[in-house]
Amino acid sequence: MSSVSPSTSPSTAATGPVGAIAKMLRANLQTYALIFATLVIWLYFSYLTNGSFLSPQNFSNLFRQMVITGFLSVGMVLVIVTGNIDLSVGKLAGFVSVVVAAVQSNFLTSTFPDQPILIAALSVFTGVAIGFLYGVIQGYIIAYLRVTAFIVTLGSMWLLNGLILLVTEGRTIPANQSTFAQIAQGYLPNEVGWIIAIITVVLLFYGMFNSRQRKRRYNFELSPMSLDIAKTVLFSVLVLIYVYVVNQYKGIQAPVLLLAMVALVVSYVSTNTRFGRYAYAIGGNRQAAQFSGVNIRRNIFTIFVLMGTLCGVSGVTLASYVGYGTISAGQGYELDAIAACILGGTSTLGGVGTVFGAMVGSLIMVSLTNGLQMANTPAAFQYVLKGIVLVIAVYADIRIKRSSN
Amino acid sequence: MANATGTNILEFHNVTKRFSGVVALSDVSLNIRRGEIHGLCGENGAGKSTLMKILSGVYPWGTYEGSVLYEGRELKLEHSSIRQAANEGIAIVYQELTIVPSMTVGENIYLGKEPVERGVINWDKLYADTKQLLEQYKLDIVPQSIVGNLGIGKMQMTEIAKAISRNAQVLILDEPTSALTEAEVEKLMEILEILKSHGVTCIYITHKLEELFRITDTISVLRDGKVITSKPTKELNREMLVSYMVGREMKERFPEGQHTPGKVILEVEGLHARNPHTNREILKGVSFQLREGEILGIAGLMGSGRTELVATIFGEYGKVTSGVVRLNGQVIEVKNSRQAMAYGIGLVPEDRKTHGLVLIQSILKNISLANLGQFSSLFAIDTDAELKRSLEYAKSLAIKAPNLNVPVDSLSGGNQQKVVISKWLMSQPKVLILDDPTRGIDVGAKFEIYKLIRELAARGMAIIMISSELEEVLGMSDRIMIMHAGRSAGVLDAAEATQEKIMALATGTVVPTEQAILNQ
Ligand SMILES: Nc1ncnc2c1ncn2[C@@H]1O[C@H](COP(=O)(O)OP(=O)(O)OP(=O)(O)O)[C@@H](O)[C@H]1O
Ligand SMILES: [Mg+2]
Repeated sequence: MSSVSPSTSPSTAATGPVGAIAKMLRANLQTYALIFATLVIWLYFSYLTNGSFLSPQNFSNLFRQMVITGFLSVGMVLVIVTGNIDLSVGKLAGFVSVVVAAVQSNFLTSTFPDQPILIAALSVFTGVAIGFLYGVIQGYIIAYLRVTAFIVTLGSMWLLNGLILLVTEGRTIPANQSTFAQIAQGYLPNEVGWIIAIITVVLLFYGMFNSRQRKRRYNFELSPMSLDIAKTVLFSVLVLIYVYVVNQYKGIQAPVLLLAMVALVVSYVSTNTRFGRYAYAIGGNRQAAQFSGVNIRRNIFTIFVLMGTLCGVSGVTLASYVGYGTISAGQGYELDAIAACILGGTSTLGGVGTVFGAMVGSLIMVSLTNGLQMANTPAAFQYVLKGIVLVIAVYADIRIKRSSN
Repeated sequence: MANATGTNILEFHNVTKRFSGVVALSDVSLNIRRGEIHGLCGENGAGKSTLMKILSGVYPWGTYEGSVLYEGRELKLEHSSIRQAANEGIAIVYQELTIVPSMTVGENIYLGKEPVERGVINWDKLYADTKQLLEQYKLDIVPQSIVGNLGIGKMQMTEIAKAISRNAQVLILDEPTSALTEAEVEKLMEILEILKSHGVTCIYITHKLEELFRITDTISVLRDGKVITSKPTKELNREMLVSYMVGREMKERFPEGQHTPGKVILEVEGLHARNPHTNREILKGVSFQLREGEILGIAGLMGSGRTELVATIFGEYGKVTSGVVRLNGQVIEVKNSRQAMAYGIGLVPEDRKTHGLVLIQSILKNISLANLGQFSSLFAIDTDAELKRSLEYAKSLAIKAPNLNVPVDSLSGGNQQKVVISKWLMSQPKVLILDDPTRGIDVGAKFEIYKLIRELAARGMAIIMISSELEEVLGMSDRIMIMHAGRSAGVLDAAEATQEKIMALATGTVVPTEQAILNQ
């Protein structure tokens, strides 16, 4: 009887680097298909707009536009992975943005006239705290009182809409204090950008060698050195190109850096902590997780608290980005966030999905919106096309999964 | 095997089936004669289910090499063409149940071929037909009952009734008895005899060798995807069959082992519990003691409350209405599995698909799920240690898979069971409860699991083992508790226990003797 061999990935030793690359591509088909799809979309719009789609300025804006729904998608992945849904995220981010605007213009600016940093800090704190608290309440109702997430968050959507109207009284409230504006509109000096790029590259290589060494210590089969190096080089080059291009405009965008850090942390947490593992197990088979001693209620509660907090972050960024709070703030963002997750390979049945996938999904969504606008497509067609793309993408995903089986 | 076509209803010619990285069937050639009951056996992962899935269209024509002749012509099934196979007269009962629990018996049996008149289902005819079918095979099931409420034995019977209702020429049964009690197995054997007398050919997969000798005309053995032998049953005996299956001789069925039970660790006294949903009383007074280093077998018919008992002790079933559970002399109240684990109690649940496994996840993640605390520092999981330890268990149970990253749903049924057992062994409980742990496991691996259980007991672990197979209970236990209708009907010492005594207590045909009561 041939039983398990100690390799973590399908055995690659025998086939050499070419076979190894083929195998790696097959194993990560979905990830590569996504990246490929993004590139195709970029090239297509670039062609339609005579290259201005990929100009440094638009490239830089594209990523900045992704940030607000990006934060929402990071949390939404985990929510969907556990087999839940959150329809309130758009309105919650919107509510946070109007409250931040109201607090800033009605209270903070008059109370601390000469302390711009304090005003910005308190604005951020207010926004994030509101998101966190809302997450606590909503999570408690869903996890401990066991009302379906769909219903609770649908209710929240209306409730928050009402609260937005109450706070704004139908008016637009400014949130344009200059330090606060830096959060979503700031850029890092070129030198700092390069330093970040270099640190990232060093960390990428360090991580690769470190993991190889640990594997060797435990006598696990290693993938060929050349393949690992090729992968790391590829990612390093992408980072360097990115920094090079954005430096052509104004430098690394502060909000993009923030999103990248949040996404990295949540991604790590989702794969390398008990909390994350349990989320996937709950979505995969709730009863089996229950029988394995997983505290399901606490896990789901925590995920909704995290989601709320991320709505807070998103709302703060939104206020800083547009510079005001308004009644339509956050309208429809929940659907963008959900679509980004689905595009990124998250299964609506639960148990499957990655933060990385959701980020690429977000990028595809903004690329479509931005590209269609630049190509002067009428608004009506923008909606039509986005709808079609979503359905086609999910169909392609099903086909890919079937063929790799 | 030079039979002329005509006597063979099915012929496999050089069939090879590969999954990425795994050769499940390699160059299989096999003949099935018309009207016979053909037994198919072999180790877990030998390829039995895969071979049958080729017949039923799960793996359509073109996804395998070689050819399958049915009634002398090549079978070319299209993708997902269970229906096409059914129209050809090939019916299959899968290893895992495929009926819809929320629908009635009649709805399930006629699912996809409901009698329709002018676009509307004729319910009266559907239920009348169901009734007739069930009566024909002497099945005691009400057509209108909801399948989910039936208990696993009757569910399985419904599944079989569904398969034969389509006028099958060839009926494939993939481990139909792994969840059945002895009485239900009897019933199934009768049904098969009836079918045989109607000229239906039957392919019967099982790990229970007694059944093969009892009912089959021919037995074929698969090992590592190859046909090892295919012979008339008359020419085989148990020892030969086992050595064909495992590739070596195996003399004894249960490992030797003497343990000296230590002090009482778990004590259950007058336990009463209700079903949390229906509020019906399921446990009506159960008492027993369990010592360190002891194997306590629990026997009882399906529905006697044995599964409910252990799930209640584990904190995942009933509302305890009276009675106490003591651990090391302390009264404990276990409200959920987390608390049970904290007390050092582990449970390998009866139904691996719903309670044991996250099917879409890898072997690794399934094994470690209940044990992540062991690898977690303050925050992050040490994934290397996780892999290393999981690998140790996967190896000691000989889980057959290319590596630990393959999803559990691509494993054969028996190997899935081994994953669940690995998970609970890794948690190193003080009291390990095994609810039918060898369900669907091959003889060789069964022996390995028995050995392991004995070793654990020898090291002082207290073990409760539920089993539907009387021989297993008799062969493994130091003492046997028999349950009947939610009560403990008696406790027998291994030395005094016999099949007859157990059955008598389990069916409630004798009142427990004074001795049996004293033994509690
Ligand atoms: N969908 C799949 N993907 C990959 N491998 C598979 C798949 N289905 C089956 N296999 C592999 O093919 C082999 C044969 O599996 P099969 O289910 O036919 O075994 P079996 O003889 O029925 O075993 P058991 O007695 O445990 O049910 C196993 O090694 C299994 O892991
Ligand atoms: Mg099988």
